[in-house]
Amino acid sequence: GSEAAGGEQRELLIQRLRAAVHYTTGCLCQDVAEDKGVLFSKQTVAAISEITFRQCENFARDLEMFARHAKRSTITSEDVKLLARRSNSLLKYITQKSDELASSNME
Amino acid sequence: MEEREGGFRKETVERLLRLHFRDGRTRVNGDALLLMAELLKVFVREAAARAARQAQAEDLEKVDIEHVEKVLPQLLLDF
Repeated sequence: GSEAAGGEQRELLIQRLRAAVHYTTGCLCQDVAEDKGVLFSKQTVAAISEITFRQCENFARDLEMFARHAKRSTITSEDVKLLARRSNSLLKYITQKSDELASSNME
Repeated sequence: MEEREGGFRKETVERLLRLHFRDGRTRVNGDALLLMAELLKVFVREAAARAARQAQAEDLEKVDIEHVEKVLPQLLLDF
């Protein structure tokens, strides 16, 4: 039925997204490998990719809750900053990027 | 802010997040998508860098899964 087709569609989407995350993870690991003079095993790249993919679920749900708490249905930069609150350096970095975006939006 | 090489595409980030929303009306604005792309990039780079440092602390040049496992708890606490 159409429910089964919907489930299949979702599975296909998940596969494509996993592959996209894996590709980008590979690129970023390559950068770090060059910086630090190390080699990452394939399994390591796959593991980091999988962890990142799964972490997106927590991020998505938190962001949705933050927006909802502010009585919005659209997630904004403010919600992302809340997400980055646990590490001072991360929060500083994200706030900086947010300010850069805000000033380029005003041009 | 440009999308840099070796980063997450805006479209990918949008789909990754939307996959897990509970409310069909939830959207993400453009700036938030760009910021999330940056955050995810930092997440991956941190995971990789910390695992690398762990391997190096063990006098190894090759980073393996056990190095990721060792740094994972603190990584998740920091995010």
